[in-house]
Amino acid sequence: MNGFVFPKWVNHLRPLLGFCLVAVPAYVVVVFAWGAAPRTTDVGYAPRQPVAYSHALHAGLLGLDCRYCHTNVETAAHALIPPTQVCLNCHTTIRADSPKLAPLRQVYAEDGARAGMPIEWVRVHDLPDYVYFDHSAHVRRGVGCVSCHGRVDNMEVVYQAEPLSMGWCLDCHRNPYRHLRPLDKVTDMTWAPVDALAEGRRLAELYDIRPPTDCSACHR
Amino acid sequence: MPPLGRGPEAARAASGGSVPRPTYWRSLDELADTPAFRAFSEAEFPSAAPARLAPTTRREFLRLMGASAALAGLTGCRWPKEVIAPYGQQPENRTPGVPVQYATAMELGGWAQGLLVTSYDGRPIKIEGNPSHPLNRGATDARAQASVLELYDPDRAHAVCRRDGQQYATLTWEDFAAFARPHFDQLRQRGGAGLCVLSAASSSLSLADMRARLLAAFPQARWLEWEPLSRDNERLGALLAFGRPHRTHLHPDRADVIVALDDDFLGAHPAAVQYARDFITGRRIDATGRRIDAGGPEEAQRPAAPMNRLYVVESGYSITGAMADHRYPLRSCDVPAFAACLAAQLVERGLALPPEAGELSAVLKGAAEGRGEGPCPRGLADELLGHRGRCLITVGPHQPPEVHALVHVLNAALGNVGTTLTYTVEPDESRPTHVAAIGQLVAAMRAGQVDTLLILGGNPAYDAPADLELAGCLASVETTIHLSLHRNETSRLCLWNLPQAHYLESWGDARAYDGTLSIVQPLIAPLYDGKTPAEVIALLLGEEPATGYEIVRRALQALQPGTDFESWWRQALHDGVVPGTAFAAVSPTPRGGEWAATIGGWVGRPTAQEDGLEVVFRPSAAVYDGRFANNGWLQELPDPITKLTWDNPALLAPATAAALGVESGDIVRLTLGARSLEVPVYVLPGHAAGSVTLLLGYGRSSAGRVGDGVGCNTYALRTTEGLDVAYRPVVVKTGRRCKLATTQDHHAIRSRVGERAGQARVGLLVREATVEEYRRHPQFAREAVHHLPLVSLWQEHSYEQGHRWAMAIDLNACIGCSACVVACQAENNVPVVGKDEVERGREMHWLRVDRYFRGAPHDPQVAFQPVPCMHCENAPCEQVCPVAATVHSSEGLNDMVYNRCIGTRYCANNCPYKVRRFNWFNNHRDLTEIEKLAFNPEVTVRSRGVMEKCTYCVQRINAVKIAAGNERRAIRDGEITPACAQACPTQAIVFGDLNDPDSRVARLHTAERAYGILEELNVKPRTKYLARLRNPASTPGNRTDQ
Repeated sequence: MNGFVFPKWVNHLRPLLGFCLVAVPAYVVVVFAWGAAPRTTDVGYAPRQPVAYSHALHAGLLGLDCRYCHTNVETAAHALIPPTQVCLNCHTTIRADSPKLAPLRQVYAEDGARAGMPIEWVRVHDLPDYVYFDHSAHVRRGVGCVSCHGRVDNMEVVYQAEPLSMGWCLDCHRNPYRHLRPLDKVTDMTWAPVDALAEGRRLAELYDIRPPTDCSACHR
Repeated sequence: MPPLGRGPEAARAASGGSVPRPTYWRSLDELADTPAFRAFSEAEFPSAAPARLAPTTRREFLRLMGASAALAGLTGCRWPKEVIAPYGQQPENRTPGVPVQYATAMELGGWAQGLLVTSYDGRPIKIEGNPSHPLNRGATDARAQASVLELYDPDRAHAVCRRDGQQYATLTWEDFAAFARPHFDQLRQRGGAGLCVLSAASSSLSLADMRARLLAAFPQARWLEWEPLSRDNERLGALLAFGRPHRTHLHPDRADVIVALDDDFLGAHPAAVQYARDFITGRRIDATGRRIDAGGPEEAQRPAAPMNRLYVVESGYSITGAMADHRYPLRSCDVPAFAACLAAQLVERGLALPPEAGELSAVLKGAAEGRGEGPCPRGLADELLGHRGRCLITVGPHQPPEVHALVHVLNAALGNVGTTLTYTVEPDESRPTHVAAIGQLVAAMRAGQVDTLLILGGNPAYDAPADLELAGCLASVETTIHLSLHRNETSRLCLWNLPQAHYLESWGDARAYDGTLSIVQPLIAPLYDGKTPAEVIALLLGEEPATGYEIVRRALQALQPGTDFESWWRQALHDGVVPGTAFAAVSPTPRGGEWAATIGGWVGRPTAQEDGLEVVFRPSAAVYDGRFANNGWLQELPDPITKLTWDNPALLAPATAAALGVESGDIVRLTLGARSLEVPVYVLPGHAAGSVTLLLGYGRSSAGRVGDGVGCNTYALRTTEGLDVAYRPVVVKTGRRCKLATTQDHHAIRSRVGERAGQARVGLLVREATVEEYRRHPQFAREAVHHLPLVSLWQEHSYEQGHRWAMAIDLNACIGCSACVVACQAENNVPVVGKDEVERGREMHWLRVDRYFRGAPHDPQVAFQPVPCMHCENAPCEQVCPVAATVHSSEGLNDMVYNRCIGTRYCANNCPYKVRRFNWFNNHRDLTEIEKLAFNPEVTVRSRGVMEKCTYCVQRINAVKIAAGNERRAIRDGEITPACAQACPTQAIVFGDLNDPDSRVARLHTAERAYGILEELNVKPRTKYLARLRNPASTPGNRTDQ
C-alpha cells in the first residue's frame, strides 16, 4: 500500500467545515446589520453635557438666533462652541445664582480648580478625523442648520438627528435642492416653502450651487 | 522608422550603431549601465520586504494579534468620546480653526530672512517668505522652511541645568539667577576682568544694545563673535581694496554676463533667495532672444536685453555651477590664478584700471609677459570687455582676500559698480574676524585670563578650528555658561546649560543682508522655558526691562524718535519690515597696495596637479554648519547635486577617484598633518580633479536622536590655517566600505530599454536648447518627441465646466535649490523615514527634484527636473486600483483616498512617473506629542499600508474655493498657490486654472517651450514643463586645457 492515506485529524474537518458554514454567514450578517444600525451611526446620541443647557429654551422659547452663540458658522469651518464669556453676557443678570450655572461661574472665579479652564462640552456631531467639513461653505450657500442638526429648537438635550454617514452627505451633494433656502432663512428652524423643490432649484440657480462629489472635496 | 526628432538628441538616438550612451544620466552607475542600477530601476519596489521590524517572536505576534482583535471588537461599540473645550474668554481677532499669519524673521549666521509664519490655533505650523520683504518677496530657502521642525524638536534643551561631572541637576531660572547675581556682582567690582562673552554672529540692534550695556557695566569684559561659516574673507578683501570693510550686493538681473569665481551665490549666500530670483529674471526670454520679464524700472528702459550668460569656476559642483552656461571645474586653490589670469588678459586687452590701483596694472602687465596661457579662456576677457557696465564678477567667501580685492578693482574698471553691483559699509566695522576672535579667546583661556565664559548660542566645542583645541580649554575656565537651543557638544563641557528660546518663541530684531530690519515676534510661548541672548544679558545685569519685548522696543525707540512710536511699532510688526532701514549704497574707490604683488605671483601660476590634492571645506546644503543636524527634514533632503541624504562623504572627481583607486562607498583615511579622519568617498561627476570636498555639519555626537552619529565630523580636520582650503592630504584606502543613501537612481524613469538605438521606449524627459536653437526652432521641446496619433481607450471626461487645475514648471527657472521639497513636506505631513529606508528607495517626498547629468563624466552639465504628481487626465494609477482609492475629480485632480486604500501598490506599479509613495510603516507612530504639534491639521496623517502622493495641495485649493464662494466671487489667478510654488525663489512653479485662458498657467501650457513628459503614453499630464535654455557663447570660450 503506497497510496496516500489521510492523516487522522482530517476526520475533524467535517464538523469544522459545518461549523464554518453556519458561523461565517451569521457573522457577516451581524457585522453588516450592526454597521448600518443607528446605534453605530450614532443617530440619537445624546450625551450628558457638563452644563444642562437647553436649546429648547434658548433657541426655541426665547428665539435666540443660532449665530448669537455659534458666531463662526458663517466664516469658518467650525461653528464654534461659544466661550463662557458669551453665556455670562446674559447670565450675570439673569438667574445669576442658579446652581445649574455653577460650572460657568467656576470658570470665571478668581481661584479654584476650574478657574480659567474651559468647560468640556461633549461633542455630539462627531465626524471622523479624515473628513474635512466646513460650516461656512454650507451656511453661506443656503443650507439650513436644520438640515443636518434637526429641530434643535425642540431639543432639551441635543442629540444627533441624522446619520452623518458618507451616503447621507452624498444624497444631498447629488441632489441639494430640497435643502436650499434663502440666505436669511438659514437659521430658521421652521421655514417651509410651498414647493421646496422648485424653490431649491431657483436658489441653486441664483447661488450657483454645484456641490462637489469628488473625494477630495471632503477627504485630503 | 526614420528619425523624426529634429533636435540633436533625436538624431543621435536614431543614428544606430553600437550601444548608445544615454544623453542624460542620473549617476555614473546609469552611465555604465551597471547591474545594480538595472536592478534598482526595474523593480518598482526595489526592496519589497519590510525590514524595519525586529524579528517578531511568536509571543509578540500573538500579543499583536490579540490586541488587534480586541480593537476590532471595540470599534463596533462606540465612537470615542470627544470633548470641545472653548475659550473661557476668547482673545480678540482669534477664530478657532482659522489659521493666521504673522510676520517675523529668522536669523542664520547673522543674516535674516523675512518670514510669514502660519499659526494654527496658536501653534506655528508652516513657514513662508514675507512678500513685503525685499530679500524674500514671498520665497524662502529649505532651511527656513524646515525651521518649524526645530521648534518642536523634543531633544531641545528642556530646562536650566547645572553640570556636576557627568550628572546634570535640573534647576530653574531662579536658581541660575541666585548663582549669577552674586557672581556677576563680584565681577562688576573687578570691572569685568575675567569675563568673556562668545556670541554667535548677530545683526540684532537689541542685542547690540544689550552688549553695549554689558560692556559699560563690565568695561574690562571681552565680547567676541564666532561663526564657523564666515564671510570674513570678503570683509578683508574690501579692507584691502577700500581701506574699510564693505559689503557687496549683487544685482544679477542687471547683468548680461556674470562670472562667478568659486561663488555659489544662488545656493550658499545670505541673500541667495533674492539673487536666485534676480538671476532668473535675466534668463526669461522669448524666442527672439530678448528678455520678457524686465526686472525693475531700470530694466524696463532696456527691454532689448539678452538672456544673461553665466560663467562659473569652481571646485565642487554647486547649484550655481548647474546653472552655468560655461563651467570650469578647477581646484579652489587654482581659482586665484584663474582670477589673476583673467585680470591680466583684461589689462592686456586694454582695460584701464582706476588710477588709484595703478601699481596693480603694472604688476599684471609685467607678470603676464612670457608666462604663456593661463587657465582662463581667452573668450572670457573679450566677453567682459564687450559688456562693460553690464557684466558682473563675483568671488566666493572661500577665496583669499586678495582675490576679492582684485575683483573689486576689475568690477570698478568695467564700470559695473552702481549697476550690476553696489556697495554698503559693513556694520560693526571694528570687529575682529571670526577666526581671530576664537583664537583670541583660546589664547586668553590658556593664559588663565578667563574665569567666566558666557557662550550665547553656537557650538564652538564642535565647530571651532581643530588646532585650537577649544574643548580642552573649556575645562580650565571656572564658570562656563552656555545658552543653547540644544544640549550640544559645548553644553556638555559647560557648567551651566541655559535653554535658548527658538526664534519662533522670541522677541527680537534682525537685519537682512541688505540691512532691512525686521522685528522678530514670537508665535508661541517658549515651549521649554527658553530665553533669548538679550534676556539672559538683562538677567545677568540685573536690569529692567528684563523681557525680550521691552528690550526690543527700547532698542528700536532710537529708530523712531517721533512721538508716535506705538503706531510705528505696530505697523513695522505687522509688515515684518521696518521701512528705510536698508543700508545706503556707497561708491568706494578701490586702491592698489601691497596685495598687488600677491596677485602678480598668481599670474601664470601653473594649475596642474603636481602639487597634490587639496581639501575644501564647504557648508552642507542641508544642515548648514551642523546646527540643523537634528532636523529630520533637512537630513533627509537630498543634496541638490549629489542627491545624498543622511551623510557627508568626501566628494571626488572621477579622475581623482581613479588615481586613488577608490570608488563611491569606499572608506578612506584622510590625513592632514597630524589629524586624520575616516570618511567614505563619493565620486561626483564634474568635480574638479585634484580636489576633495568635505561638507561640514555632520558627525555630531550630541545633536539629538536624529543627528547623532550621522556622517563624520569633518571639523576634526579644519584648522585655523586651513579654514577653507587645506593642502596635500594623504588619502589611504582602508578597504572597508559603507552604504551611502543617495536618491539619484531612485524613481528613475528609464528612457532606454533595449540595447540598440531606436529602442528608446520613452521620449526625452529633460529637454533643453541653446538660445540660438530656440530662436531658429521655437517649438523644439514639443517636437523633440514624435509619436503616433493618440487615441484613448476610455470615455474621456469633459472639463469644460468649472475648474481645470494644472501646473507648469519652468525648467529654465528651476535652480534645484529644493526649497519646494521641504515646503511640501511641511505642508503635507510627509514623514521622515531614515537612512536605512532611503537606501531601499522608500523616501516619502511627494515632490522630488531629479538631477540629470549630460556629457562626459569629468565635466558634465546638470539639469534639474522637479517631479510632482502629474495629475494625468488618463491616469494609469486609477485604472488599476481594485478599490477605487485613487479616482479622478471633476476638476482633474487625481484624488487619493487614504481610507479606501488597502495597499496593493498596483497604482505605484502602474505610474509611469514614479511619484507614488507607499507607507511601509506607521512612520508617525514613534513621534512624541511635541513633534505632533508640527502637523498641518488640514491634511490627513497617513498610516501604515497606505499609498500617498502629491495632491496639488488640495487643502489649499479647497480653502480658496470655499472662501471665494462665501464671498460670491470668482477665484483670482494666483490666489491658489501650492506649497512648492509658494516657496520657490524663482517662481519656477506656477499653478492655476486652465479653463481661465488668461491665467498664467494656461499661457505657460500653450507656450512654445511647453512639453509634457511621457505624453506619448496619452496619459495627458496636467503638469507641464517648459524646456530649459542655455546660453553658451557663440565663440566658445573653451579653456586652453592644462
